[in-house]
Amino acid sequence: MREVFKMWKYTRMIILVALSAAIYAAVLIPFKGGIPLIPGITEVRPANVFPVIFGLMFGPAGAWGAAIGNTIGDLFGGTLGWGSIFGFVGNFYLGFVAYKLWGALGLVPKDNMEQNVNKWTKLLAYIIITIVAAAACAVIIAWYLDIVKIVPFAFLAVTITLNNAVAEILLGPPLLLLLYPRVKKWGLIWTDIMDKEDVARGFAKHIGAVLMIVGAIGGVVVGVGISTGLYGQQILGFTGTQGEVGVWAGVAPFLAMIVLASFMLSGREQFVEEEEEI
Amino acid sequence: MDQEIYLDRNTFFHRLDPRTKILILVVAFVVILYFDNPLWVLPLSLLIILHGFFAKSLINLKRISFILVILTISSMVLWSFFANGEKPLFWVIELEAFEFAIARTLIMLSLVTEGMIFLSTTRTEEFVLGMIRLGLPYRVGFAISTAFRMVPTIVSNVFIIAQAQRSRGLDLDSGNLIERIRKYIPLLIPVFVSTIRNTNVFGMALEAKGFGAQNDRTFYYSSEFNKNDYIVIAFLIILFAVATYLKINGYGTIPGLTKF
Repeated sequence: MREVFKMWKYTRMIILVALSAAIYAAVLIPFKGGIPLIPGITEVRPANVFPVIFGLMFGPAGAWGAAIGNTIGDLFGGTLGWGSIFGFVGNFYLGFVAYKLWGALGLVPKDNMEQNVNKWTKLLAYIIITIVAAAACAVIIAWYLDIVKIVPFAFLAVTITLNNAVAEILLGPPLLLLLYPRVKKWGLIWTDIMDKEDVARGFAKHIGAVLMIVGAIGGVVVGVGISTGLYGQQILGFTGTQGEVGVWAGVAPFLAMIVLASFMLSGREQFVEEEEEI
Repeated sequence: MDQEIYLDRNTFFHRLDPRTKILILVVAFVVILYFDNPLWVLPLSLLIILHGFFAKSLINLKRISFILVILTISSMVLWSFFANGEKPLFWVIELEAFEFAIARTLIMLSLVTEGMIFLSTTRTEEFVLGMIRLGLPYRVGFAISTAFRMVPTIVSNVFIIAQAQRSRGLDLDSGNLIERIRKYIPLLIPVFVSTIRNTNVFGMALEAKGFGAQNDRTFYYSSEFNKNDYIVIAFLIILFAVATYLKINGYGTIPGLTKF
């Protein structure tokens, strides 16, 4: 997590936070009135493609940008409320998981860590990352909103996971292919801006990656299982009781896994010496 | 399209300390979410309208009028169906659900209006200073305020690029709504690219002015609390206390309403 705080000393990273947040919010706002899935809580969000691709390209700046951009979108879209508190954290994790997992899955070649999807293995890594990031975001937000009895866990967790993942998988690869070469040329990839020493060392990174995947996807699956099995909630409905201790206690260990994995994963492996072009 | 949301007016609310303006925003957002009954939400919505009227900021709502109309329609329709009640009103909609839909719509519109009033009465540098005085590191405050400022800039760039493409013969005005939206999508790429490209120039401009050179910084703009700030803060404390008391004692609900 070191780089999440150390990045604030780099002027370009600060601007990238603002830029990521502004682009995310600017695309979120017009769709606030589009197709609401749960009025006042969430809607069809094609803008959700940005946290992941900005997370990959801008690292921690993309994660902070997603969190701030979502809050600005809530403010201007009329959806700012109690859910926005964990919406901030959940959206942060959309970008955070992206850059933390990129080099930790073992799919991206160690000598070519560039954050693009121009190889099949990288595309596969991207798809896994989007699903894990979408689920992590969903677990964080749905867990909180079920506890405070605003929206049932089963419905919200599945809605957010699908809403995030569909936008990221469909729109992400073409956008990344278009934007990455330009951003790289301008020297704005996070590994080109930050010093390696300012990035967390991490430990047992592959186990960390497994923990993140299990924490995110397991949290959704177990949470949905408990809430539908014990408390009468439905995946496509608002039935059942909310705020039950079973959901709270059942999902909490998975949230703990996500937090623990955040400290285990690094991002340093993406700092690869590049040959200078002549 | 004008990129600046701030309106340079000399009103009572423009002259307040930025911390007071942030407090107005926070209290408005907290108390309006307390109530489900439209009759309890309405006075708070009227307070926000009065705030906008005396701050001469309501004109800025025109910029987002399309979003407000869509939000109103979608919120009224969907909340009427999502919520349930006991007294049938028409078709499958109950009276309690309809009342809740009105309340939710009022809340959404009030929140957007209050956010717009805040940005209409607060300069970026005031916003930064306010956040720093409230304890936020200045780099974080700068990023947040810059993000707020860049949103209308990005939207404005979409219109500029659209006009440039129109002048080259691109037809953006024919077809139904979905076809028009689809035509705008390719225009977004140059908007993102141009926005990202400006990062280096922006960074150099900031560093040339000494941004980040020292951990503590001074400000050209300064602001202190005055009598008006204390009056507004006292009003906000009373409003918050009364609203919280009423909420704890169960006022502002709709009997027979099931939200989901």
